[in-house]
Amino acid sequence: MFILTNVYICAFFGENYLKFNWQVKPVRLAWISNVPGGDRMGMSFGKYVAYRTVNAIIILFLAVLLMSALFTKLATIQLESQVQSTVVQEARTYAQQHGIPPTKEWLDQRTKYWEHYYGLDQPYWKRTWRYTVDTFFFKWGQSIVPVFGTHDIKQQIWSALLRTILLFTTAEILVIIIGLGLGVKSAQKPGSLLDRTISILAMLTTSLPMWWLGMLMILLFVVYLGWLPITLYSQVEVNGVANLLKKMSLPVLTIVINLFGGWAWTTRNIMIGTMQEDFIMVARAKGVPERKVIYGHALKASAPPIITMIIFGLIGSLSGAIITEIVFNWPGMGRLYWQALQMNAVKTMMALNYMFAILTVFSMVLADVLYAYLDPRVRIGAAASS
Amino acid sequence: MRWVDFKDSVRRFWEDFKHQKAGITGLILLILLVVLAIGAPYMTSPDVPVKWQTGVAWITNPKNAPPSWENYFTSQTRAVQAEYTITNMHVQTIKNGTYTIYKLSLTYNMKYDVPPADIVVMGLHSNATNPKQVPQVQMALVRPPEKGVKDNRLNLISQITLPNNNAIQVAHLDQTRNHVLYWLYLNGVLKIPNVPPSMITPDNINMFVMTNTTLYQMVAAMDSMRVMFGRLTDSNGNPLPIEKVISTPQSLKGTYGLVITITVPSNVKVDFTNFKVAFVGRTYGLLGTDQYGRPIALGILWGTRVALAIGLAVAITSVLIGILIGVTSAYLGGWADEAIQRFTEFMMTLPVLPMLILLSLYFGGRVNLTQLVFFLVIFGWMGTSKVARSMALQIKEQTYVEAARALGASTGRVVFKHIVPQLLPYAFASIALSVPGAILSEAGLSFLGLTSQNLITWGQMLNTAHQNGATINGYWWQVIPPGLAISFVGLVFVLLGVSLDTVLNPRLKRA
Repeated sequence: MFILTNVYICAFFGENYLKFNWQVKPVRLAWISNVPGGDRMGMSFGKYVAYRTVNAIIILFLAVLLMSALFTKLATIQLESQVQSTVVQEARTYAQQHGIPPTKEWLDQRTKYWEHYYGLDQPYWKRTWRYTVDTFFFKWGQSIVPVFGTHDIKQQIWSALLRTILLFTTAEILVIIIGLGLGVKSAQKPGSLLDRTISILAMLTTSLPMWWLGMLMILLFVVYLGWLPITLYSQVEVNGVANLLKKMSLPVLTIVINLFGGWAWTTRNIMIGTMQEDFIMVARAKGVPERKVIYGHALKASAPPIITMIIFGLIGSLSGAIITEIVFNWPGMGRLYWQALQMNAVKTMMALNYMFAILTVFSMVLADVLYAYLDPRVRIGAAASS
Repeated sequence: MRWVDFKDSVRRFWEDFKHQKAGITGLILLILLVVLAIGAPYMTSPDVPVKWQTGVAWITNPKNAPPSWENYFTSQTRAVQAEYTITNMHVQTIKNGTYTIYKLSLTYNMKYDVPPADIVVMGLHSNATNPKQVPQVQMALVRPPEKGVKDNRLNLISQITLPNNNAIQVAHLDQTRNHVLYWLYLNGVLKIPNVPPSMITPDNINMFVMTNTTLYQMVAAMDSMRVMFGRLTDSNGNPLPIEKVISTPQSLKGTYGLVITITVPSNVKVDFTNFKVAFVGRTYGLLGTDQYGRPIALGILWGTRVALAIGLAVAITSVLIGILIGVTSAYLGGWADEAIQRFTEFMMTLPVLPMLILLSLYFGGRVNLTQLVFFLVIFGWMGTSKVARSMALQIKEQTYVEAARALGASTGRVVFKHIVPQLLPYAFASIALSVPGAILSEAGLSFLGLTSQNLITWGQMLNTAHQNGATINGYWWQVIPPGLAISFVGLVFVLLGVSLDTVLNPRLKRA
């Protein structure tokens, strides 16, 4: 499952992280079968799904625990300053009402009260635990600073999620279509002009930071060619569907240019790996037309990894590319994360991290399960022991 | 593996690698990068990283200036940065009673359609102890002769003090602006009706200008530098209309002289070693400047150091750790393998960029180089470990391993003598291929403003550009070079990695 995981991580963050691990990897599927649980001989499909799901939930919980441990410290710093400013405010009111400044005992007592109110008097691990549980069960609460005009974190993330889905799913679908088409074409004639062009393109585009490509796009199409108005990218919100589509055009183009090369290259590698199998030789030997060999036999056999890759790509696209959204001022999850970062909205960040983790874990599960469904060898684990 | 075998295999590897065009290109470029990275302090100066953070060092540079070579592609040539030290000036020392007067003069060849943006004088050091002893500066510009202009000499500064570590920026002085207006008046360009000439001085001319609203608005938007270096008269020697001189000035090309007079009490010593006069360009150097006047080319050069350091450190460490963990996992088997695998999966599950952001925040919001390498290694070893494990599992079952074990080889011997050497080819390719990922992650974090400001990195340069709205304003020289540099380094390592992979894993050679 390693190749897929990396493809997925790359698609997920779009920031090219780990892209290079899969990009030129020999697609030898022998070790793909080292799927957790894959070596449990004869496991039924239903059991396998259940096993993977439970496993995923446990991993997710541990991830949240780890993140909470880190976040509690940040939250503590923020809450402490909050307590301080609240007490100072109260002392001022007290002084105005009574004509004398409050005593030290009174101040201490108010500080204690607020510390208790925010739970700061609890030990670190206890607060981490409570934070973990709250986050895990979606009790995200209110952010101290408003983002997207609301304090409710759930609402903030929901609206951001929808916009991210819109942008990245559109782009991802285009990438898949172009990438698969070109990949299959170049696998037909390894070493041909198209094949070499795609290899070079894949190398070039994967070394580009996607967000930088975005900046170039703005420079070219907005500033120099003037095809799109500047306000489209200098402002976050746009009015009307037409403008929204216009605003989407450049980020979509950026994502497609940045990712299609890698997709084509991976598809090509998977296809070539399959084309070296014996059954293809047999098919050719018995005179099956080449077109049928490629689209009938090879593509069919390559389907499991490719389809899993698609699932990864689609689900992964939901979290979008954080920095690309910032560059285009696209109000999605990434932009929200950035805004939360700027405003030090700790709780929003935590909730977003959780969302990213959920998407990661469950797309992994989905891909694993789908793979197991399409390629029974994984389930039976025959390949694992060979 | 014996030494002879090792030498032999290196030789064989090189024989193969030589024929990889991409690999050789990558290798040459890598050597170039390493030379640049190591040579940066010697080619420039070793204190650049310190200077980079302070605004003082770049005071003589234009802000947001495009590269000088843009002049070849534009219809109007714009002034290039020109700097003078004391060695380029003619110095005349005059004793006048209790005062010493230094008369410094220099010549400047103005051959541009758009003149310099500013004249900056700085770096004068004196041992003056009280404010009265501080050097007094006067400045005048001697223009090339122009038909119809009575006085070629234009006073810029009649009197200003220049304490240590201070700088005079002529373009921003009210004094200079008033002198320019007065000079326009003297030459009949600026007309002030109904006032006898004897009543008008450089000090009060602004008052008369203010009475005329259209004139005042024009003057408020005036770029004094362009007027100073601009034409006053037409080809017949008649004064040009004021709107033309102020709002759409035409440059007067030729050799200009700048005369700086510095007056100090005789008992005060003046040190000219750091003295500098800069005609601030409208364009700058090879790659222009950012909004703080820092040269982009310098940042690109120094950025190589951090990029290579981070890329190589992260790639080597994470691949080695990955292989170690993978092989251990495969070799131990059983519950230990299970535990390590579950942990690896857990690490793979964490969303990388958000986790990196979170860790950076946890460590104070701005992480230094060591911390950054550490974080990137934490999230970088899993892929290698998975592959290493599956490869080690296959090797473990080979007959020669069995034979070694039957001969009584210890675990360590089997692992380090038979398994790890087999994985080394994979490791080398893997290291080369994980460098770009590390550099891109660093760039991403820097772009978000989460890395230490003591580093000069390409990501931070892009962050600065983004804050400056460089894309929207069309400052392409702030956006394109850092990104190109990142991609270039990435490409170099991809080329290397792909070639290494092809040579070292012959199974992959196809077609």
